[in-house]
Amino acid sequence: MTSIIASNVTVDFPIYGAGHRSLRQTLFAHTGGLIRHEGAGRQQRVVVRALDDVSFTLRNGDRLGLIGHNGAGKSTLLKVIAGVYTPDAGSIRIEGRVSPLFNAAPGLDPDDNGYENIKTCGMFLGMSSEEINSKLPDIVDFCELGEYLELPVRTYSTGMVARLGFAIATAIEPDVLLLDEGLGSGDARFAARAEARMQALIQRTRILVLASHSDALIKSMCNRAILLEKGRLIEIGPIDEVISRYHERPIEAHVA
Amino acid sequence: MRLTALFDELLVRPDYAIARADIIDGICAFRIWTRLGWQEVKRRYRRTVFGPFWATLSIGAFIGGMAFIWAPLFKTDVSSYLPFLSAGMVAWTFATALISEGCGTYTAGISLITQLNFPYTVLNFMVVWRNIIVFFHNLLIVVIVVIALKVRVSWQTLLLFPGIIIVAVNGAWMTILFGMVSARFRDVPPLVGNIIQILMFVTPIFWFSSQLGPEAQPIITYNFMFHLIEVMRAPMLGTAPSLLSYAFTIAGAVIGWIVTFDLYARFRRRIPYWL
Repeated sequence: MTSIIASNVTVDFPIYGAGHRSLRQTLFAHTGGLIRHEGAGRQQRVVVRALDDVSFTLRNGDRLGLIGHNGAGKSTLLKVIAGVYTPDAGSIRIEGRVSPLFNAAPGLDPDDNGYENIKTCGMFLGMSSEEINSKLPDIVDFCELGEYLELPVRTYSTGMVARLGFAIATAIEPDVLLLDEGLGSGDARFAARAEARMQALIQRTRILVLASHSDALIKSMCNRAILLEKGRLIEIGPIDEVISRYHERPIEAHVA
Repeated sequence: MRLTALFDELLVRPDYAIARADIIDGICAFRIWTRLGWQEVKRRYRRTVFGPFWATLSIGAFIGGMAFIWAPLFKTDVSSYLPFLSAGMVAWTFATALISEGCGTYTAGISLITQLNFPYTVLNFMVVWRNIIVFFHNLLIVVIVVIALKVRVSWQTLLLFPGIIIVAVNGAWMTILFGMVSARFRDVPPLVGNIIQILMFVTPIFWFSSQLGPEAQPIITYNFMFHLIEVMRAPMLGTAPSLLSYAFTIAGAVIGWIVTFDLYARFRRRIPYWL
């Protein structure tokens, strides 16, 4: 049984090397997490509360969309689920293998050739050597890079790197799939095939969490949504309700 | 940052289970770090004739040039000074590269650490492994000198291998400790670079420890770097390192790992926040 149980998750980012004056603009910002100053005088530290007391439960079959303004905490929440950030308060319990696809090709090195990068990135995405070898023909076939795979990745065009990254990333077998704004995937002809492959990946994923500013993308991929605002969970529920709530809410500044 | 605030940070509750799991998983992921270490060295071979041997050549040129100046300066003959200098320099380069490259372990791994949850020690072991490979490139200098000058080779020469292991085990905790501190305080890497440079002249690499008077011997006896060098240099010169050097380096490995483990348990979770 794959599940994600978040209880009262709170994440604070201490900001290092930020002068107080440079923060003035941030203080009057209309978006972003709550900014706090801890201590007094020269001991003062700037802390941004990126997530504030967020709780929810996800089970098999849940496709969750994260909605909110820039800096509302969508990416931070994804990274907490990915295990990158440990919450300062509260807890997150996850059953199942989590695959974060924030960057299609983690550990990609431009000086290595395509085959070498398939292996390195595959390892970082949690695949064993045997798994990578069994997926290799599929990856090679899908990215259509042919003999380019023998050349260093720095000789690739941007679209070709995106194809390679997409082919590797979508070869995984995740229980929990985390996506930030979907994945880039090269030119128009490739995009159609990428769309199909992405759908197939989502089909075999038990839980999907997707952060996006695109209502259309969320509507096409998700069955539930969370609205985040300044790190707080405002609403969780069916997509249409949450999206309309998002568009109704006025933007307001919260400065403490 | 004030010292009181620093003290507050040190009072974080340690999570030993996480630290232990990270280190054990890191060791078990040897396929990843051996591969990454090799890839890094292979990259240096590409499009160059000498690849990683360029570093070897530059150490070789330095040793070759300096030996002929310093040997008369220190009133020794080149045939006994040259092996000593080359073995010392090669050992020194290995030990200090672990410290200075260790400082950049986590800052260099920023894209991985801020996107994935994986044992960060993979990055540390990669740095150690890569430097072991580079060490064996540099060892060529010593091999050439030993053969050319017919330096005594005995069964004690084999003690080089446990020496390398002792230095690597020490290097592993150093890369974790210095990597963590450098991720938090960005002044540390240049500071460490400066200290290493000074230590190079305080440690007997260019001069023999016997040349320092008896009253100044504590400078050598309590110099951890000297012992770290000695467990590799002595075997390269066909002799056994002193028990004192083994005692210092093994104790350093044990104490270093205990201290680093405790700090890692406290701050591992903070590393992505620092980057």
